[in-house]
Amino acid sequence: MIRAEDISFHVGTFQLQGLSLDIAGGEYFVLLGPPGSGKTIFLECLCGLKKIESGRLYIGGREVTGLEPRMRGIGYVPQDYALFPHLCVERNIAFGLRVHGRAETKVTEIADLLGIRHLLGRRTDGLSGGERQRVALARALVLEPKVLLLDEPVCALDEVTRQEVCAQLLALQRQLGLTTIHVSHNLEEAFSVADRAAILHQGVLQQVGSLDNLLRKPKSEFVARFMRCENIFESRVMGQDACSSNTRVEVAGLELQIPGRHSGKLLFMIRPEDVLVRSGSALDGQGENTFCATLVRSRDCGGYVRAELAGPVNLIAHMTHGAFAGLKAKHQPSVAVQLGLERIHVLPI
Amino acid sequence: MKAATNTPVRGWRDRVFSAATFFFVSVFVLFVLVLIVTDVLYVDRKAVVTVLSSKFILHALWMSVWTSLLTTLIAILFAVPMGYALSRFRFPGHVLADAIVDLPIVFPPLVAGLTLLVFFSQTALGRWIQEDLGLEFVFQPKGIVLCQFVAAASFAIRSAKTAFDDVDRRYENVALTLGCTQWGSFRRVSLPLARNGIIAGGILTWARAFGLFGPLMIFVGSFRGRTEVLSTTIFLEQSVGNLEVALAIALLLIFIALIAVTAIRLVGGSALVRL
Repeated sequence: MIRAEDISFHVGTFQLQGLSLDIAGGEYFVLLGPPGSGKTIFLECLCGLKKIESGRLYIGGREVTGLEPRMRGIGYVPQDYALFPHLCVERNIAFGLRVHGRAETKVTEIADLLGIRHLLGRRTDGLSGGERQRVALARALVLEPKVLLLDEPVCALDEVTRQEVCAQLLALQRQLGLTTIHVSHNLEEAFSVADRAAILHQGVLQQVGSLDNLLRKPKSEFVARFMRCENIFESRVMGQDACSSNTRVEVAGLELQIPGRHSGKLLFMIRPEDVLVRSGSALDGQGENTFCATLVRSRDCGGYVRAELAGPVNLIAHMTHGAFAGLKAKHQPSVAVQLGLERIHVLPI
Repeated sequence: MKAATNTPVRGWRDRVFSAATFFFVSVFVLFVLVLIVTDVLYVDRKAVVTVLSSKFILHALWMSVWTSLLTTLIAILFAVPMGYALSRFRFPGHVLADAIVDLPIVFPPLVAGLTLLVFFSQTALGRWIQEDLGLEFVFQPKGIVLCQFVAAASFAIRSAKTAFDDVDRRYENVALTLGCTQWGSFRRVSLPLARNGIIAGGILTWARAFGLFGPLMIFVGSFRGRTEVLSTTIFLEQSVGNLEVALAIALLLIFIALIAVTAIRLVGGSALVRL
């Protein structure tokens, strides 16, 4: 449905470099990246608001590289929504219809769909963040586009409203069968809506895939850190394990096993929720990759407990409240840590 | 119980600051009012009757009104596209063009009259326009509009540019994705949003044109019943010793200016612009 082939664009010192992307029809795609990574510029290139220097863009099988924005058949919701301040809500929503000389009956239909009919007579300057977002969405959807581009659509909303709006966005996308690109720097937002996601950094697409894939199998240290993996270690290969297909490595004096055959230096990671922590007494008779550590600090993060562990290597573990209570950490800060072989992922250096 | 207001809670320092700003407002407004009242006290009934019954003075009033309004209209016609172009597009010579727009604001208005006179009487192109094309400006009513335009249009252009600068481009971008051409986004979004700035520029232009004196004396002269406007009438009346009549005309000028500026401000600040 949407295809970007090797597109390049630069502004000042920033450069979007050879970006290629394929998004299927009806897919909810989230483009992630830190601020300044080029997400908005990519959307603007897709809209035709910025002229790309090289490459090709396709929407719905049709090449749109040289087409004006109005001919691309897209609905666009910019960051902060950009509602026309000189027009009331109804006229904001009807804007596209008026430009095309179409009947405005669709305005009430789309307002009903988004639950904003009561706002139609209002000016835009008195609306709340959530209301502004829905008005901007209605304005973009009233022309029945096949593609919807959302630039940080919920970043200005509070946490509760954000979750509600994300759920509404997903339901609406499914209902209308829209191919959607949602730009965000927020991981929770991506988890609540995305079919697939991509991570952009300094104008370069780092990785594209399902969120689970990005989470468990990041292709670079940047992606791993962006996906909030804090346990990344640099190690030195000591040799191959004779009894298995594992590699023995050394990290800060600690010998560990890593799945697969490797040589030289390597970088590996294990997600905090995959670190197995048990009380110190449970250390006896453990298998490989098990070592003692001390619980330095713990923080209740709502759904889980974040435990900071100091040992031969420093680690972060995310534990359920039940598992953490079982540690009896108040009386016994010494714990046993196990890094499961199947949970370790090697990153390319 | 006191009614809630939309102002923050203020301490004594804030009140001193507010009082200081109001002090300057009061001094200026009072000073101008005192000057006007002085004029009013100086003018006698006979002078007022003379002004209101003189067909030459009334003709000069009419000339002042229509020439300044036409100048303002032409200036806005230039200012809107020029302001938009200078705000939105970068082209070779942009900085120079921007600076040239400001020149008539900076140089004394007298220079505009002198330059126009030299252009139309001393250059081949000027003479061709006047003699071969038949567009006579020197000592003609048309010349009043041209002279006012050269001296005053910069205010409209500068204001329009600033107004377009203040319009967020994202509004135009959204309009483009909703089906507008660039002209459409300009007409439906940028122009309504820049409206107040353009009106402000129009007021400044009209004020400058309405009160213009020096360059008109040089370029079109002050021929009774032909090229005489109120500002030149004041000069002529005081030069022959009719100080009361000159002041009565000045009061008329002030009165008209006050009504016009207030009316335009009230209209300019009214409800939403229709799409």
